[in-house]
Amino acid sequence: MTLSTLAGETGKNSMPTAVRAMLVGGLIYLFLVGVSSLEQGIKVMGQDTQEQLFSNVSNPIAGLCIGILGTVLVQSSSASTSVIVGLVAAGAIDIETAVPMIMGANIGTTVTNTLVSLGSARRSDEFRRAFATATVHDFFNVIAVAVLLPLELLTGVLSNAAGRLSELLVGSSGSEWKSPIKAWVKTPVGWIEDLESSLGLGGTALGVTMVLTGLVLIIVSLGLITKNMRLLIADRVERSMNSVLSKGSGSVAMLLGVVITMLVQSSSITTSILIPMSAAGVLAIRNAYPVTLGANVGTTITALLAALASSSPDALTVALVHTLFNVTAIVILYVPRFIRDVPIYCAEWLARIAAARPVWAVGYVMGAFIVLPLVVFAIAR
Amino acid sequence: MVLSFFRKSPSGLEHAVSRAVGMLGDARHSFDLATLALLTETSASAVDADIRATDERMNRTEVELRSELVIHISVQGTMNIGSVLGLILLINRIERIGDQAKNVLDLAEEGAVLAGRPDSETLLTERAEISALFGEVAELMVEHDDARFAELTQHCEELQALHQTKINEYVHSMEPGRDVVPRAIYYRYLNRIVANLVGIARAAAEPLVLEPGESVVDLDE
Repeated sequence: MTLSTLAGETGKNSMPTAVRAMLVGGLIYLFLVGVSSLEQGIKVMGQDTQEQLFSNVSNPIAGLCIGILGTVLVQSSSASTSVIVGLVAAGAIDIETAVPMIMGANIGTTVTNTLVSLGSARRSDEFRRAFATATVHDFFNVIAVAVLLPLELLTGVLSNAAGRLSELLVGSSGSEWKSPIKAWVKTPVGWIEDLESSLGLGGTALGVTMVLTGLVLIIVSLGLITKNMRLLIADRVERSMNSVLSKGSGSVAMLLGVVITMLVQSSSITTSILIPMSAAGVLAIRNAYPVTLGANVGTTITALLAALASSSPDALTVALVHTLFNVTAIVILYVPRFIRDVPIYCAEWLARIAAARPVWAVGYVMGAFIVLPLVVFAIAR
Repeated sequence: MVLSFFRKSPSGLEHAVSRAVGMLGDARHSFDLATLALLTETSASAVDADIRATDERMNRTEVELRSELVIHISVQGTMNIGSVLGLILLINRIERIGDQAKNVLDLAEEGAVLAGRPDSETLLTERAEISALFGEVAELMVEHDDARFAELTQHCEELQALHQTKINEYVHSMEPGRDVVPRAIYYRYLNRIVANLVGIARAAAEPLVLEPGESVVDLDE
């Protein structure tokens, strides 16, 4: 295979683009079926089971920890926020409970690129750059939660704003709106329910299997959407990255982060491709930072999509809280110049420590994303 | 700039190959000017600025291309790792040719005079032959052709053997040093330039096949 023939084949794959695009369309449909199945399964479980299952997360700090742990477990905030939206749609949890969980998901999703950065732990300078770029995302999201969660708990500013927006779009909380997508997915969800009922399942058992089916459909379809979309747009992403690096500004980089993440439905993909570039010294942390923030906003499209599969305005409100939270965080933590660099300084400080002793990096990942949330959850629930 | 995301244009490696071809064009330009200064009455100072500016442009392109290749691997994964390594090897060699052209210019600036001598005609013919090789290599980079590649390799081997013979002759010559030393050095540079040209063609044809003792990092002797 020669350079000229390989160059011609870059990004090409065995499946024609149109077929792959149709496949992605089918997978999005499957994802919506999954969300609807999850919602239906929780409804089938009944009020008592729902209360037993979700009473532990009524404390906002416990909810935040569940959001972190759930997202770390599935390695996808798109999946975890979609599940949260499904839970709200089914009435299993209310908006007040869901908001800290959504914020937790925002923190949990940052673990993926931090794990990617550990790949260069043996090369000190590379690792310092990669780890700083990965953890700037962590610090930004943690600071955003530290500022906005208390504000939300005290004033309800995000949920009120999202509620008003949701009301404008689909109607008031407590009512039902006729989602066309809900109607499209109703039939396959009915098939799932019939199939599982025909196996002799009923009541809570039927609800649990429908929830599990929904979870599997959500996780598998999102994974496949991400994989296929990445193949579809890899050439464009590469070209745009080159443009942004050569002459882009912060806002352009941020918009690029939004666009890429919306298309691949995964902020982890967007933030993880930045890590090898930073490790190689091609991308400075200051250039990667706005792309990361764009990814935070872009990833909220999945929860919005999931909300369209339900007929509950509250589900849409929670999805909108996710978007508003990330946009507000950018407005208060990135737009003012005096505070913009704080996450960068924190990340560079942590990266210097981690580069000197990589074991601290592993300790940080384990501690911040698993041990600490588990301990805090155990105390707060 | 964000809208460019939605526009259709060449993919990453195609773009990198096309930029590498442009870089080879710059290397040829430097070679032509430097040899012109050494082999004709053209003043070295007249071409100096052009050659240095071209060299800077080549160095800048080399850095940008390396960055593009890192981005390519980050985004696309290791699917084309062979081609990326081949391209790194290739742009390194092109950059070396630029340096060797500068060495020829240095020779002219140090006062070596090869113009108006009995062998001037031969030297100019050889110069034209090597300059044409740049074009052939560029064509092979864009579109591989086994027969042309074999022909080019053989031609380059013959040229290198001829250069080595000339170097040996000058080293053992009883002629005055001011005549033979610049020629021996000049042929040594030509020999390396031809070696790098055939190396570029080989890297384009077989990205991962290195010559014995050769590595991606250290290319020249």
